Amino acid sequence: MSPTTKTRIKRFTPLQRIFHLLLMLSFLTQGATGLARMYIETAWGRGLSRFFGGYESALTIHIYVGIFMICGFVIHFIYMLFKIEWKRFPGSLYGPDSILFRPKDLKDFFHHIAWFLGITKAPEFDRWGYWEKFDYFAVFWGMIILGVTGLLMAYPLASSRIMPGWGLNVAFWIHRIEAILAMAHLFVIHFFIAHLRRHNFPMDQAMFQGSADLEAARHERPAWIARLEQSGDLEEALVAEAMPAQRVIYYVFGFAAVAVGLFLLIGALINVPYISW
Amino acid sequence: MVSANHIRVASRCLALAILGGLLLLPETAAAQEEVASPIRRYKDREASTGYYEEYEVRPRRERPFVSIPGVREGIFPYSPNAAQVRIRTRLADSHQGIKFYNGRRCEECHIQETKDIHTVRANLTCRQCHGGEPIASNDHYYSPMNPIRRHAYVCAKCHEGASASYASYVVHAPNPSLAGTLQSFPVLFYAFWIMIVVAVGTFALFLPHTILWGIRELFIKKEKTNREPDDKD
Repeated sequence: MSPTTKTRIKRFTPLQRIFHLLLMLSFLTQGATGLARMYIETAWGRGLSRFFGGYESALTIHIYVGIFMICGFVIHFIYMLFKIEWKRFPGSLYGPDSILFRPKDLKDFFHHIAWFLGITKAPEFDRWGYWEKFDYFAVFWGMIILGVTGLLMAYPLASSRIMPGWGLNVAFWIHRIEAILAMAHLFVIHFFIAHLRRHNFPMDQAMFQGSADLEAARHERPAWIARLEQSGDLEEALVAEAMPAQRVIYYVFGFAAVAVGLFLLIGALINVPYISW
Repeated sequence: MVSANHIRVASRCLALAILGGLLLLPETAAAQEEVASPIRRYKDREASTGYYEEYEVRPRRERPFVSIPGVREGIFPYSPNAAQVRIRTRLADSHQGIKFYNGRRCEECHIQETKDIHTVRANLTCRQCHGGEPIASNDHYYSPMNPIRRHAYVCAKCHEGASASYASYVVHAPNPSLAGTLQSFPVLFYAFWIMIVVAVGTFALFLPHTILWGIRELFIKKEKTNREPDDKD
């Protein structure tokens, strides 16, 4: 098959892929610097912190990358406002192309589970699966919780003016549990769905290439493809496969992220008994 | 001619000079470990290093009236002559009557207090905040640990500009998961358990979901030419 054959369907714009890339890099940095400090009592944590220049500079990096993430979050929110189809508002928010949850997602969820158990046929997903919507909004909830508690702790003199200082004890635990939840969700569930399940094995290219294989999409998201065919927009949405060199970079990058994530996950789990909680 | 009287005067002067010299010299430090005795060990160390209690920092913005939300309501003054609280002899000794106190270490009794971030991560010793003997209770009026001046006399040693509110941070925070924390620090207890429910709930939902999904996909007959979802088994 020549590389110019349009076998793939557009899924993400370059800007959306840059958002994901920056989020990925900054999240891994936050995970590594945060765990380096949390595990400073162990050899693993000290080794990790050495990579960032030690206990103190790991915090400096953590704070500045955190501020970068908050800026990215605000920019993404503004971007989102531009992406809303204001002409058909608010109906556009509840359509199949919207990332917002709609009643069908709940139905799809139970339908999907029934399929896992062999009770029904596979649900026909549209453009965004309920798990993808969950992952997208989980970042919103995580950014707000981690961002707010993180800022409170990064500037304790200022934050203890607007709240009692003991609020920092509370912020610390909220930040810690939410960060553990976020890392565990990404390094276990998100990585499994994007890499290990048979549909995507060894790696889902959509977020890096910006497109998904048309036949694979037809298989998992028949409602989306059928809708595009019916409206005659399918041809327009088709693109060619990326150059092999590009794909190699995507693979290396994706697997490097998985390796870092698993290193953090396994190291943290092994060392759980050796730190003061 | 040197008379016996001269020798007597000279020897007395020499003895006084030696005694005076001894007073000027610092006492020898017996050990680097941290023990409770003000006489045998710790005070020696303080004298020989000039470290812990020798300096202090005022809050960056000295405000005449402060109140601590949740700790002390209303306003109360503090003034420059509050420095009088540094006079050690006015402090009460909350360890009075403990047998063999001089040779004991803080963590023999205060085990839980050695497990917080200030101790295990910043490697602070007890005395760097609690000072030398005698150690008064936190609520004793003249104690540097009293919430009316803790921010200035203790926290601000490292956290420049610490306010009274800032100093209400609980350094020896209780374990948030324990039932006792519901009484001592209810907000921390509820925040912890709500976050645990959110985290465990997310996993209780998505972990089995993802495992089942992974298993189910192993049994798909993948025929790329077929447009129907081809898992009619």
